[in-house]
Amino acid sequence: MSLIVDVLSGGVRGGTSIMYAGLGETVSERSGVINLGTEGSMLVGALGAYAVGVETGNPWIGVLAGAAAGGLLALLHAYLVVRRGASQFASGLTLLFLALGLTSLFGASYVGQPVVGFDKWDVPLLSDIPFVGPIFFQQDPLLYLSYFMVPLVWFVLFKTRVGLLIRTAGERSDSLTVHGYSVRTWRMIAVTVGGCLAGIGGAHLSTAYANAWFENMVAGRGFIAVALVIFAVWSPFRVMGGAYLFGTAIALGPALQARGYEINQFLLDAVPFVLTLVVLTVLGKKTLSSSPAELKRVFENAPPAT
Amino acid sequence: MSMRKSTLGVLAGLAAGAVILTGCSSATETKATASEGAPGEGTSAVGFIMVGPKDDYGYNQAVYEGSEVIKKEFPDVEVMTAENVPEDDTAATTMEQMIDKGAKLIFATSYGHLDAALKVAEDHPDVVVVQQGNTITDDVPDNSGTYFGTVYEPMYLAGIAAGASTKTNKLGYVYAFPIPQTIANINAFERGAQSVNPDAETITVSTSSWCDPGKQQAAAESLLSQDVDVLTQHQDCTATVIQAAEKAGAMTVGYHADASSIAPTGWLTGAVWDWGPLYTDIVKTVIDGDFVGSEYNDNFRVGYKTGTNPFVLAPYGPDVTEETQTKITEAQKWLGTDEGSPFVGPVLDQDGKVKVEDGDIPTYADVDAMDYFVQGVVGKLAQ
Amino acid sequence: MTAITGDLKLPKERGKAQAWAIQALPVVVRWVAALGGALLIFSILLMIKGTNPIDAYSDMWSSTFQRSASVEEIFTRMTPLVLAALAVAVPARAGLTNVGGEGQIIMGGVAACGAYLFLGDAMAPAVLLVAMIAASVVVGALWAGLAAVLRLAAGVNEAISTLLLNFIALDVLLFLIYQPWRESRTGQPATQELTDLAKLPVVAGTAVNVGIVVAVVLVVAVQVLLTRTRWGFRVSVAGGNAEAARRSGLKVAFLVLSALMIGGALAGLAGMIQFSGVEYKLRPSFGHQLGYIAFLACWLARHKPFPILLASFVFAALSVGGDSLQLDSGVPAASIYVLTALILIAVLGFTTPRKKTS
Repeated sequence: MSLIVDVLSGGVRGGTSIMYAGLGETVSERSGVINLGTEGSMLVGALGAYAVGVETGNPWIGVLAGAAAGGLLALLHAYLVVRRGASQFASGLTLLFLALGLTSLFGASYVGQPVVGFDKWDVPLLSDIPFVGPIFFQQDPLLYLSYFMVPLVWFVLFKTRVGLLIRTAGERSDSLTVHGYSVRTWRMIAVTVGGCLAGIGGAHLSTAYANAWFENMVAGRGFIAVALVIFAVWSPFRVMGGAYLFGTAIALGPALQARGYEINQFLLDAVPFVLTLVVLTVLGKKTLSSSPAELKRVFENAPPAT
Repeated sequence: MSMRKSTLGVLAGLAAGAVILTGCSSATETKATASEGAPGEGTSAVGFIMVGPKDDYGYNQAVYEGSEVIKKEFPDVEVMTAENVPEDDTAATTMEQMIDKGAKLIFATSYGHLDAALKVAEDHPDVVVVQQGNTITDDVPDNSGTYFGTVYEPMYLAGIAAGASTKTNKLGYVYAFPIPQTIANINAFERGAQSVNPDAETITVSTSSWCDPGKQQAAAESLLSQDVDVLTQHQDCTATVIQAAEKAGAMTVGYHADASSIAPTGWLTGAVWDWGPLYTDIVKTVIDGDFVGSEYNDNFRVGYKTGTNPFVLAPYGPDVTEETQTKITEAQKWLGTDEGSPFVGPVLDQDGKVKVEDGDIPTYADVDAMDYFVQGVVGKLAQ
Repeated sequence: MTAITGDLKLPKERGKAQAWAIQALPVVVRWVAALGGALLIFSILLMIKGTNPIDAYSDMWSSTFQRSASVEEIFTRMTPLVLAALAVAVPARAGLTNVGGEGQIIMGGVAACGAYLFLGDAMAPAVLLVAMIAASVVVGALWAGLAAVLRLAAGVNEAISTLLLNFIALDVLLFLIYQPWRESRTGQPATQELTDLAKLPVVAGTAVNVGIVVAVVLVVAVQVLLTRTRWGFRVSVAGGNAEAARRSGLKVAFLVLSALMIGGALAGLAGMIQFSGVEYKLRPSFGHQLGYIAFLACWLARHKPFPILLASFVFAALSVGGDSLQLDSGVPAASIYVLTALILIAVLGFTTPRKKTS
């Protein structure tokens, strides 16, 4: 019993950063823009939150900084793609390298410096519920915030006008223009918001989960988030489930090791990716048809074959 | 437009082609450089390459602080440092660049730098390249050597503190790879704990990385959830595991650096580096032209028995009782004698097989060759 | 590319060279301005970190281009980039996005290592090398082919599947070097080092392995393949409009599959060269992100084989320059990514006139 609770609890904790980034990428892709630089937004978010947290002693201000950093990077991506016509894949990867370089350049002095991060806070009453309590309600405040983020993103996307505009930009952009809205503007907003959320995900990693900053510490979680969004067929709630699933796969290894089992670490590490491939294959052409139309065009029209 | 671009491309291609027209030769040709005098003699510059950042509160910071001591002790010598040098061929490139700038003595300070270090040493017989931590198994070339302190000795002492302070009898060890030093550390730690608390066991988790905060956190959590109440580690950056322990109310044994400031309640003690004296002696030996045939022109290990161990015990935290401190001081004295060793036989492995006979005392070299965990250690050693 | 519209009416008497110059000037200005902007921003960042940018650049220049060892290093690093960039260019012709160079390089290296471990060095070096090449090419092609099959059979977009396969390839590599193939002597994760016989020969008098020759030859070969063969023509038709191609009788499925597999084969070869000519063993950091950089190099070169040579040279030079940044200017080596990215942003975003996106 304890093994399962520990693993799931660790899975929720470790998967939260992925979930934030996944939520953000959902918003972005719903508007028709894929951002391979999500990993970069998470990185600058992690460093931004950590550095500001160290300087100010307040982790929440750090989160704001992280969100801002992630958003800025994504804004650059949005600008390149929407206003300068750059390839979405190339732009995203380029910004990833920019983030790697920037965080390496400016992060070196923060390695090893202790930060006041987010401490665990047991939710009264709820944390006493057997099984569910330890898994979901004995976590840190930034994680609790993510519980609200998911329905919030869902609500905004599907129940508000803003969300409608974003989704229309991704589904039927000509319809948007006909009604007098700027497709470009709404795409840029969506992508930037996506980056902000990814930045918060990075902030969780550095100031709530690992309480440390190190070069390249995001270690592929941003890419997992991009895969996750497609795995979850662009739905916020499924993103949540998927993030916890992937987080659990990552947490399983050390948990088994600590109990003396010999496991193949790398098989476990590969599970999220293999799982995504399998799901995509099984869903097959149905996924393609349920993806935002503009995204389909991005995938179909790929690079100009000159 | 495409015509112009492809013209440019053709020109670039021809330029590349021109380099190649000279033909091929086997990969074994080395560039031997002429040398006068002893390797490294009178060098005007010394280089240090580190695998991580110089302020990692751990291994590499210790190296950097050692290099600062060299700056003070040898004001006429230029001290060059390079951080984040990966453990692959890039290391060789960095060392070559240092040599170009006049360095005739290079410290390759990470375990995985050995291959690059040996290659550079082979290509430059007039440059001394010493490597921190690994062991050269074949003939040691005239201009290289390895050096290290016996890290497991202070870890044995720290184990005493851990074994005496634990309430659950469960200790946790987060490590990167099963390299000989790590195995020796873990084994000595457990033996030290057992010497005051026969029921203590050490649970091990590997992160397969010298510094990945995400993995470190997961490892720490998995140990803490098993009621481990003393955590220690063999990692390059140590903050994550220590903070995880402190937040969970568990105790901490530090490694590489004195991190008691981030674990005010739980800090027991730790093993920290003081490279200054050893580095100074190596630099002096090389500059005086005495390197070849010296003790450093070998796999040099120094410990409590043979001299000043560069790995020293960190200050104690509030939970370490007077009684325990006395035991530790006595143990340290004992380790300095001929009969003292964390691994005085009998030593059994996890399966109960006798690995060191009753009364036998393994040498430093024997310990380097340990490829098993002792009884009391939980966790499989990847073979 | 549509750099200049057809508004300029050139008198027919003007020489072709002058016409070239007039058309080229705004383009050149744009490029210079864009690249200048990138350098300016990087300089500002350096100054924030307390480094003098002029000193940094001049040190970088002299360390990179005035040391023969560094120049050779550029060619060494360029080789896998060229091949991996070609691996992006060929599928691009078919309208496919191959982000999987990273994984294909790794699998190619793994295959080459596997061939070496399996056959041992009792064989003649030439035979061994051929076997390693064959293994890496086949495995790389299959790895990419997997993505092609998923696309054809289940509509999975190859940009996503090749990206996912990168991570799976990395885990395959790590699994192998931590367990079955580990050189247990040191406990560090790595395979045993190749004996000299199995290493790629070098160009005489230098330390550059002959992979550079292979790379140049393949650039020409790919150019010919894409522009002068029937296959190349058909692939570009399919890449332009798959529906129309299908209707006119082209076997689009075959073209998609073969284009991706050729790409994978090229990247696999890059992996073999990286293994047998540079690193000599498999390590966790094998290939250090070459695949992604090559993807970007291909974009910089607008997917054309000959410009790929130039773009790869530039990126390789930047990479070597980054080493000097650390030693001479005290700035972390990874900071060179900033300059690389800024240059790419400058080119991606600012060297063509604004395109309208719908």
